[in-house]
Amino acid sequence: MAYADLLPGEMRRKLAQKIAESETAREQAIDVMTILQGHFGYMSDEAMLAASELLAMTPLELEELATFYNFIYRQPVGEHVIHVCDSAICWMHGHESLLDHLLSRLEIRLGETTEDGLFTVLPVCCLGYCDHAPAMLVDRRIHGELTREKIDRILTKLIEESHSLPGRK
Amino acid sequence: MPRIIIDGLEIEVPQGTKVIDAAERLGIMIPRFCYLKSLGAVGACRMCAVTFLQGPFKGVQMSCMIDVQDGMSVSTTHEEAVAFRKQVIEWLMLNHPHDCPVCDEGGQCLLQDETVSGGHGIRRYRGKKRTYRNQYLGVFIAHEMNRCIHCYRCSRFYQEYCGYRDLGVLQMADRVYFGRFEDGQLESPFSGNLVDLCPTGVYTDIPARHKVRSWDLNRSPSLCIHCSLGCNTVANARHRTVWRVEGRFNEALGSEFICDRGRFGFGHTNHPIRPRRAKEGSSFVSLKDAMKSAAEKLRHIHATFGAQAIACLGSARNSLETQTTLRSFCEGLRLPEPHFFVNPHVKKKVCGAVARLDERVAVSLNQVAHADFVLAVGTDPLNEAPMLALAMRQAQRQGASLVVLDPRPSFLPAPHVHMGVAPEALNGVLGGLVRKAMEPGERENTALRSRGFLQSLPGEPFFRAFSDEQEKVDAVLSGLKKSRNPVLVCGTEVVRESTPSLCADLALLLKEVKGRCGLFYVLPGANAFGSALLSGSGESTFLDVIQSMERGFTKALVLVESDPFVHFPHQERLREAMKKLELLVVLDHLPSLPVQTSQVFLPTSTLFEVDSTFISQEGRVQWSRAVHEGGIPMEQWTGGTHPPRVHSTVIPGRDFRACGEILKEMARIVGGKGKVFLPDPWSFLERGPSAPEAPSRGNRPADGKRLIPRESSPELFPLQEGHFTLREETEHAFELLVVEAVFGTEELSAHSPAMEKWEWEPHMWMHEQDAFELGFSQDEVIGMDLDGGTLEVKLKVCPAMARGVLVLPRHHRLQWQKFSDFSMRVPHDCMRKS
Repeated sequence: MAYADLLPGEMRRKLAQKIAESETAREQAIDVMTILQGHFGYMSDEAMLAASELLAMTPLELEELATFYNFIYRQPVGEHVIHVCDSAICWMHGHESLLDHLLSRLEIRLGETTEDGLFTVLPVCCLGYCDHAPAMLVDRRIHGELTREKIDRILTKLIEESHSLPGRK
Repeated sequence: MPRIIIDGLEIEVPQGTKVIDAAERLGIMIPRFCYLKSLGAVGACRMCAVTFLQGPFKGVQMSCMIDVQDGMSVSTTHEEAVAFRKQVIEWLMLNHPHDCPVCDEGGQCLLQDETVSGGHGIRRYRGKKRTYRNQYLGVFIAHEMNRCIHCYRCSRFYQEYCGYRDLGVLQMADRVYFGRFEDGQLESPFSGNLVDLCPTGVYTDIPARHKVRSWDLNRSPSLCIHCSLGCNTVANARHRTVWRVEGRFNEALGSEFICDRGRFGFGHTNHPIRPRRAKEGSSFVSLKDAMKSAAEKLRHIHATFGAQAIACLGSARNSLETQTTLRSFCEGLRLPEPHFFVNPHVKKKVCGAVARLDERVAVSLNQVAHADFVLAVGTDPLNEAPMLALAMRQAQRQGASLVVLDPRPSFLPAPHVHMGVAPEALNGVLGGLVRKAMEPGERENTALRSRGFLQSLPGEPFFRAFSDEQEKVDAVLSGLKKSRNPVLVCGTEVVRESTPSLCADLALLLKEVKGRCGLFYVLPGANAFGSALLSGSGESTFLDVIQSMERGFTKALVLVESDPFVHFPHQERLREAMKKLELLVVLDHLPSLPVQTSQVFLPTSTLFEVDSTFISQEGRVQWSRAVHEGGIPMEQWTGGTHPPRVHSTVIPGRDFRACGEILKEMARIVGGKGKVFLPDPWSFLERGPSAPEAPSRGNRPADGKRLIPRESSPELFPLQEGHFTLREETEHAFELLVVEAVFGTEELSAHSPAMEKWEWEPHMWMHEQDAFELGFSQDEVIGMDLDGGTLEVKLKVCPAMARGVLVLPRHHRLQWQKFSDFSMRVPHDCMRKS
């Protein structure tokens, strides 16, 4: 278990136990990847290989799942991940101009991370928040009935919070 | 059986037939991408839409998803269905690159055909095409993902059908990608089938890539001769080069798939070092002169020392034409019967198997795939006969249990029970399992004779070795008890001489009890079956010939497409014995060792250059047609430039002939005109009054013809002494098993440049516990001081194999032939780390 041995001992034990308790290892695949991602920030190749060793699945089988799900990141992401809802009801409620606003404010394109490493913007289909469209998810928190002002407020708050953290300008 | 009307034509088909297949039977090819009969239906591509006019379904439906039912009427040309299919092909073409002129699939591309048949021509979509990065998939297959239309055939075949787990579906929506986790060699030895089944050019065959266009190729129905299964193939040649081999459907074999050994193993025919010119001593002569000289030398020895001084050795890679002609050559000249086996034990086993195979129990590969219990004894399906492993996997996917009793580590790509049983214990464990699995009621109901046989089968002692694996034994027993359609698969390489006939006995017993039971032998070599039929009834073996050579009685040896150095365990001894010969005549197309030392060398044609017949391990006679005349490949002749502009009536490097023809010509010269009567080669194939009529030119069914008797042995269960004995525990020696691997061991494919790129190091397997006791560990190089010198090889340890054996894949670069006899014992005290 060349890669799994590199994991923190406590985490490795917990994951192994979780897998052992389930009927088949495979059913824990998403959970294991989510936990590893929670620790490392994203699923690096090494994290994938560690998960594959723990789950006795091939790296390919895990990659099939990892690349299918929106919430497993195979590349490094920013501190805050913004998933902008990209489906029909949101399109009807001004999705495009709001997305433009968000991206120009952050000076990135869709799928990119800001230079300071604070934000990554990704599309997602669909957040199921159609009755409050247009919607987006910031760090797993849903925001509906978006307007430019609302987006600005959310971003400003997150930027201020991160600046107030020790070690940050 | 339900009836259906398709486009006004009525057809009756078996229950469960899909509409798309019913149409195919009528000659109507409904367009399709995802549907492939062997893989089953998923209804993903929407291309096979037809309009249902009458019956339980109405309107546009997918013809691959609906079983034929009575009262159905279907139109494939209804305007709604036609419009639907036109839209489907248009959207499938949105991202497809317009690279047909440089694509290797061009000309035999399903996507091209369906685009035309769907009526799509003018591109309306103005957006950009989606593009992908390709991956390196190894030495056989090139990847070009931009061409993909997402039919999912590849991932379904790779994972579901074959059971390998390193190629699959990545990403989602319009980014769906078929590939691996990272660049690297595909692990499946069946990966070449991706080339055939991909409807477009995502996967193409590397040896032929950018070399030929499909419409330029000569194509002919051919056979795979790299193991005994006899899978059917299509050979493709151009410019005196065989470029590509594809799979071909055969009803009895059950699929159109072949393994990568069969697909990429043809390189020996094009090889630059293939001996193409006849030689006398060290000088090149014409084939005519060489034949004359060989014949005269033979006549001289015949006249001086008598016919007994001449020995002939054929092999399992001979075509049936060669074998039968060799037999009649020997008979006509009153020479001793030819030999076809170097190893006398293998001869006995193969002849035993062939003698016992009859219509009562023989099953085809397709029937193995439909069994409900497969018990493989002394065979390693993946390495010895790769497609058998796939057939067993298909049986397992339909609910069968698979059991492998074999000393080697098991690589079967399907869930199975593997018991690492040493060769000498195979009979006992097998017999014991069958005896134990019989219900008391069944035991009493068997006929009297069988009951005696049943009682003579061993009981407990053979299970002692598996006392800590009781779960496995129980699983096997319950599987065998429940099964109603079991198949026994029996190998002939590592087993004892009595095992093949014991398997036949057990198959007959199980058939008596269960009503059905199949028997499937795996033989060493494409025409091992023919070798056994033509070996004659004599007790003499090739070992006797060697002894006779050593004593100076045998003066001449004729090697007919055979290389005794491959299988003889003591190379030095064989070399010395051959030095004593007055005459060595070699007929071959491989650059074998004896070719270099022969007095006369006669080049012969390969499978691709002459119509040939082979008999598969099932007793199925099959035919292959020549694909080209042969000769030095154009690429080698011109150095890769333009074909020569000066024409000639002579084909360079074409001074070879079919082996059988050379033999006939030599017989004519040796015997003088009119003196030699060559018996009809086919007459040797008559197998008693109950055998089917031997095939002839006018009687060659497409799926081959099974040439086995209805009943082989009048005696039901002949019992033999020594069936069930165990080796003395006190012996401190390993038994070395020299075995096949998927790649790199089989004689012909080992000469294929494509195969040579698949690098693996020679290694030897040992049980973990044995290694521990001797103080050896994984990856250490072990030296063995044997009678014929020192053998050094890297060690691999495995917890799931038999104790007391060493398993050594016969890597073509490894010189393992250093043993004094065929029993191949390696005492513990001659082994050391080096």
